[in-house]
Amino acid sequence: MYGRRSQSRSTGLFLVLCASMLLLAMLSEQSWAAPARGVAKSALAPFESAMTHVAANVDRVTAALGDVSALRAENQRLKTADEALRRQVVELNAAAKENATLRQALDFERSFGHRMVAAQVVGRGPDGFSRTLQIDRGTSDGVQPGMIVTTGAGLVGRVREAGPHGSIVQTLGDPQSRVNVFLSKSGLQGTVTGGPAALQLDVEHSLGIAASSGEWALTSGVGGGYPRGLVVGELASVTHRPSSTSDQALIAWVNDPTGISFVLVITDFVPS
Amino acid sequence: MKRLAAAALMLATILVQVTWAPRLTVAGVFPNLALVVVIAITWTGGVRSGMAWACVAGLMLDLTAPGPLGPHAVALLAGAYLTGFWTRNVDRASVLHPMLAAAAGTAAYSIILVAADDTLGLPVPPLGVAMQLLVAASVYNAVLVPVALLIFRGRQAGGPAIRASSA
Repeated sequence: MYGRRSQSRSTGLFLVLCASMLLLAMLSEQSWAAPARGVAKSALAPFESAMTHVAANVDRVTAALGDVSALRAENQRLKTADEALRRQVVELNAAAKENATLRQALDFERSFGHRMVAAQVVGRGPDGFSRTLQIDRGTSDGVQPGMIVTTGAGLVGRVREAGPHGSIVQTLGDPQSRVNVFLSKSGLQGTVTGGPAALQLDVEHSLGIAASSGEWALTSGVGGGYPRGLVVGELASVTHRPSSTSDQALIAWVNDPTGISFVLVITDFVPS
Repeated sequence: MKRLAAAALMLATILVQVTWAPRLTVAGVFPNLALVVVIAITWTGGVRSGMAWACVAGLMLDLTAPGPLGPHAVALLAGAYLTGFWTRNVDRASVLHPMLAAAAGTAAYSIILVAADDTLGLPVPPLGVAMQLLVAASVYNAVLVPVALLIFRGRQAGGPAIRASSA
């Protein structure tokens, strides 16, 4: 008897709390509540930054055993250099493939000629359902929702929400992310979508031309959501589907989402 | 004072989840420490404590995620309620039951989170991807819950801080 009453009281409390939280969700979603929500979310950024700093220090201490730290630093330096070289190769390949007009439009340097804000990654999404990053720059630094986020290696994603001193970035790994790309060798066009393990590409067929592993995918600029020519990744594998109008491929993203520590926010590109 | 200390511990847990835990990604998921802690609190301190802390942890998680405040709190509440339902009907000393409760709680959390996001017009992953993540997260969290229970039972032996602080 007592247990039953206790259970129904718990159920009542559960329903009341759920209703309260859903009401809060609906209220905080309103446009008039957006500034307060942004401020509240920014409030956690300093704590996350501190925790990230502690994590980096702990990593450094543990890595010091057996000179792992030095090897890691050297590995990081070589990796950065390798990424830069690979990006240059991709740029050169892509530029060679395109005619003069397209090359002018592609002009990778132009994308890095944009005005940018450097930001530190201070946190990541709380679960696997949304692949997001939190950065320590917000509206007070000129960052606005919709802006494009990159690293020296290539495209990271887009700013989803911005508070005064912090922002949330939806990465390409997010299952809802969509980016139109073209391939560096074949010139074929397709759409990259996020996924739990790897980026996926649906690439259109063209007569006598097929996508192949090792090609690079760069943003095509189609749709106006991203500037043309940002490196997305390398085709790791391609599944040809003769009966379909498109092939499927897996893309090795140039940015390791778990390893990104700094990003660049392009502040003067307005997605259409 | 105890409540503040417990809230600070919960905040630290959330911060670890969004900074360190992603390094432990397996099959697309990483430990949901907030959910594991809420399940451990529910198992050791009762469903009311669990639901109270589910709200606190959920709102903290919502501060680190895109979208409005509330969806993670509702999802954690579902996990806590399901675990509470489980504790009334089984042997609490068993190791298997908390693991099963954690797996079921994670499934409830994931379903409610995706449904809440969908209801609020937020982007949700495709069904196949969501199922894959749900299964992987359920296994991952189920493995971690016995460890959390060991910690909480140790704390309770020293003093029931979480239970007392949420009463």
